[in-house]
Amino acid sequence: MTTNIKKLLLLGGGPTNIGHENELDAAAYERLTAIKKTGTQVIYVDDNPFSFASEEVQPADVYVQAVNFQNVVKIIEKEKPDAIMPKIGGLNAMQVAWQLEESDVLASHNIQLLGIRPIDLRKVLDNQQLREMLTETGEPIIASKIVADDDEAMDFVRDVGFPVIVKPLSASHDTSRFICNNTDELEDALEISFKRTYIKRVSIEQSIVGYKEIEMVAIRDENGNKLLISGLEDMDPIGIHSGDSIIFAPTQTLINQEYQALRTATFRIMDEINVTGTCHIQFAQSRTNANYYVTKVSPFFTRNALLAAKVTGYPLSYVSTLLEMGYALPEIKLPEKYSKYLPFMEPTMDHVVVRIPLWPFRDIPDVDQHLNTLMKSVGSTIGVGRTVEEAIMKAMHSSQFSPRDILPSVSKVNDDDVINQLIHPLASRILILMEALRRGFSIDELSELTKIDRFYFYKMNQLLRAQDFVINNPLSPTAVEVGHKYGFGDGMLAELWHVNISTIERMNRNAKQKVTFKEVEPSAGEFMEATNVFYSSYELENESRACPGKTALVIGRGGNQLGPNAAADYYTAQILNTTRKAGYQTIIMNTNPNAISLAPALSDKQYIEPIQLGNILNIVNLEKPDIIFLPGNRHYLSNKLREFADLNMVVLPPDQKVAKYKQKQATDAVDLFIDQDRILPITTISFYTKSHRTELRYINDYQQPMAHWQREENDLITEAISKIDTSQWQGLVQVLFYKDAAATYQFAGIRPIRITESAFLNKTTGVNWIDALVKKYLGILDIDQLASYYQPGIHKRYAMMEAVFPFKELQSNRTDGTSTQEVGSSLSFRKIDSSTI
Amino acid sequence: MTQRYLILEDGSAYAGKAFGSLATTTGELVANSTMNGYQEIISNQIYHNQIIVFTQTSIGNTGLAQNAYESVLPSAKGVIVREYENLATDHFKRISLDRYLKRHKIPGIYDVDTRQIRRHLQQKGNMMASIVDVADEHAFDQLHATVLTNQQVAQVATPKPYPNPDEGANVIVVDFGLKSGILRELSKRDCNVTVVPWSATSEAILDLDPDGVVLSTGPGAPGNLPESVLQMIREVQTQVPLLGIGLGHELFAMANGAKVDQLRVEHHGSNHPIREIITNEIFFSGQEQGYAVDSKSIDHAKLFITHIDLVNGTVQGLRHRDYPAFSVQFSPDGAPGPKDSVGLFDDFTEFMARRRDNNDDEY
Repeated sequence: MTTNIKKLLLLGGGPTNIGHENELDAAAYERLTAIKKTGTQVIYVDDNPFSFASEEVQPADVYVQAVNFQNVVKIIEKEKPDAIMPKIGGLNAMQVAWQLEESDVLASHNIQLLGIRPIDLRKVLDNQQLREMLTETGEPIIASKIVADDDEAMDFVRDVGFPVIVKPLSASHDTSRFICNNTDELEDALEISFKRTYIKRVSIEQSIVGYKEIEMVAIRDENGNKLLISGLEDMDPIGIHSGDSIIFAPTQTLINQEYQALRTATFRIMDEINVTGTCHIQFAQSRTNANYYVTKVSPFFTRNALLAAKVTGYPLSYVSTLLEMGYALPEIKLPEKYSKYLPFMEPTMDHVVVRIPLWPFRDIPDVDQHLNTLMKSVGSTIGVGRTVEEAIMKAMHSSQFSPRDILPSVSKVNDDDVINQLIHPLASRILILMEALRRGFSIDELSELTKIDRFYFYKMNQLLRAQDFVINNPLSPTAVEVGHKYGFGDGMLAELWHVNISTIERMNRNAKQKVTFKEVEPSAGEFMEATNVFYSSYELENESRACPGKTALVIGRGGNQLGPNAAADYYTAQILNTTRKAGYQTIIMNTNPNAISLAPALSDKQYIEPIQLGNILNIVNLEKPDIIFLPGNRHYLSNKLREFADLNMVVLPPDQKVAKYKQKQATDAVDLFIDQDRILPITTISFYTKSHRTELRYINDYQQPMAHWQREENDLITEAISKIDTSQWQGLVQVLFYKDAAATYQFAGIRPIRITESAFLNKTTGVNWIDALVKKYLGILDIDQLASYYQPGIHKRYAMMEAVFPFKELQSNRTDGTSTQEVGSSLSFRKIDSSTI
Repeated sequence: MTQRYLILEDGSAYAGKAFGSLATTTGELVANSTMNGYQEIISNQIYHNQIIVFTQTSIGNTGLAQNAYESVLPSAKGVIVREYENLATDHFKRISLDRYLKRHKIPGIYDVDTRQIRRHLQQKGNMMASIVDVADEHAFDQLHATVLTNQQVAQVATPKPYPNPDEGANVIVVDFGLKSGILRELSKRDCNVTVVPWSATSEAILDLDPDGVVLSTGPGAPGNLPESVLQMIREVQTQVPLLGIGLGHELFAMANGAKVDQLRVEHHGSNHPIREIITNEIFFSGQEQGYAVDSKSIDHAKLFITHIDLVNGTVQGLRHRDYPAFSVQFSPDGAPGPKDSVGLFDDFTEFMARRRDNNDDEY
């Protein structure tokens, strides 16, 4: 494989937010390993402080800046790249690429746009051109009009009738769509939309609410070779944003003719826009006839494009990168563990994956929680099984985000509310659907009310019957068997029967009920692939063998909610990286399809399993890990696991319960690294909040070093060290100070450095402190080397990390939130201006 | 839920739950990895005397569509799947899979580790199997004693000619176990079709005044058919455009001197890239093959290879050097499977149109 691209500008995905988690970073990581093989130099732009990928690039080639037109132009002028690769940065990066084209920057610097030609990019980003292109291609689209004022909108609605969908054009993010059933709703929607559009244009279209939403993800090379990665079926109909819908892979309720028609349409559109690499196309499929409409064309990386890769085991980002760079599909060479045919074989699945979204309403309760065309979820978990029921059960099991193994139920909701929620769905909708079945709603009735295919209600009904059977037959071997078949973990059975999990384990041994692990691989058993991704099922053949040699198991965090999840994922990835480099066979278990920690290259083996006691023990029993890492504060789980005395478990960072506070307010801090009796000062930090509060729970914005560091840093560090008793404090430790009205620093407390700030330190000090911490627990830390390597106190710049809150996306009026409400952070640097010191 | 067993020639047995008919049957065990179209697969006559293992986890989800049968009287010997759903949705007046299988005496077993069976077959190669009530010595003895017929085509193909009238090109389809997808594609191109029995002679075919002849798909080994079929092909190909598909492709190759070998493991799926040699493009199509043309045996004075499977290297398409005759191993009709190569039917109608236009010159 050869390329004539010498220097490549790669645009990153930016801070995590609603609609995008770490999946773009995970894909960027995979992408960088592919680019390295071609010998091309990469310049990477991204301001996500929890980016793992950016650490794969030479530090000098990373620009920690927001991906926007102004920044990218400056970088282009300085770096003079041959080519620009925007697809991994999602819609935002594509729009930047288009601005570069419009303003002639690409042409004047002779830069090649990879993945799509400028002329075709325009066809996709400009709604009018997209519609024209689709019409010319013969692909059906829904009636739609761009309007400049309310009158034009009303005229359109008189022609097509309600319901209609209104959305602002060129809005800052792509999630705002409003469905209107009457004039009042239309007027409201127009008002909001005209405020959000900066070109004063709003699109209004005929509604296809109730249609099935089907998504197709495919790749194409320069020669026109195309391959379908996977189809995805949204269980919820059009009208609920696909990001808020439960998604099934493969599609479950399409007949072959429908499926192939959508596949053919996908390929036709990809040919029309000459895309290379990944393309994600969304369709609305009628429930009563063969009609479909094309609803969205995304020739770039989206969350669901990457979901398609995750569910099939296809190395999408790797292959897509090379296709964008001009290689042909049959030329692609994959890393050794894959069979040589894999890049150009169409993935075929012999398992079912269910994705269940997670919503932020526990942390931000005072917003409209109805599910509609505006995306509101902030994360998701997947369940993988050999049957639809098993996959649903495992996904539900994970999505409660509770480490306790309990069966979810909403029996307290009254009948009126059930009906109301069937028609006007709220978050965690599947619980209401099941509750309605429990209360005797007929499947036809439910399907009519919800526009959800009857198939799914049959499946849920089967789950309910299995659940009843399990509950009514406590401790019976048949009930264990039935439970296992339907995805009830051992922990769940123990919880339902109020017994210890060891009782269930004993029953399993007696009944020879043994968990088996199956590989997630794209050939459905035709080739002996070694993707090393496994999920459990209770069947005959177990395909996962214990990793040889020293092994480390890292227990991932599961699906993202608000709070330090993106940071925790970064933290987890660092743990994997360090243990692996230290010679451990490293095993990760996780359920978040968007996690960087599930990137195939970061571990030796991946289990996509609910993060629950029973599932963890199954893996522990097979792998017998020498050490188990549990990143993040998970009291229930760590306490439960501690009951198993023979497990060598490390909780990182140490439980925040050990924190000692004198007061719960702080303005500054000193970060230390402590090993035995050695205390290394790392840096000082100043805390900020948008509303100038000093309570610890509001602190989300950080600056390194502290303000006025020249005058006060050394004193503060000395004082901080004096507060440390090394018999109590080890590892990454933060000493808090509160600067009072008299401008004196009062000692406020000591705590382990939290996940978010650990990531911040890594990015700002140039030392990987998480790596050092993990090495300390592995017993391989060379503290002298670390001390000699890192010299604090020489500051040339301020580093700032500011929280990103999803308030605007959720249409909340809040501006400032707590650390449990942040969805991500952005990182920036500012030169220290000597005049201000 | 009755427990039943799938027993394999090598002595292994898998317990599962019964659906469909409760018949005891024996056939060759094949795995199909297509992810859609259980209806098309089960009703395809190529599965005569075969038991189909689905690697897709769940079948029956959508009932059976009125217009998606590949034959009227399916002849598969069994269906094995991980999960089965007996749904019939009324929008399309679909009937349920269970009812269909019972009607056609096809037994099914679900709740078995189909992934293990698939991997097992992949390692051990083609095997016979039975679906039985009890997996005892007697059942295995029966399995080992069973000799499957080699008259498969005669059992599934039409004994008498029948027409499917339209206003376009006059196409004769020779039925070796025809799948309806071929007729659907010809109908879409307005062809006036007559389906004739596999044993039709070239004289009988040419007396119908065809614009083109299609050699259909069908079950079993091409070597089981008599030499007279090859003779028919050799004569017809010199007269009119010819398209062979599946078994028809294998027979076309043999008629022109090539050898056809049995595959160690039958390949049924749509995940292998097929390369069209002239354009170097790859595409995907439903493939259901137990046999493949031996590329070394091809007489290059007569035939050239047009398509190959990039994974197992098998010949997927052939063309005659002297006549407008060509053939493909795969199923371009996409029933089931991708329709990436459905344009081959246009190529065929193009050949027929050209022949009609040039009639004066040739005759």
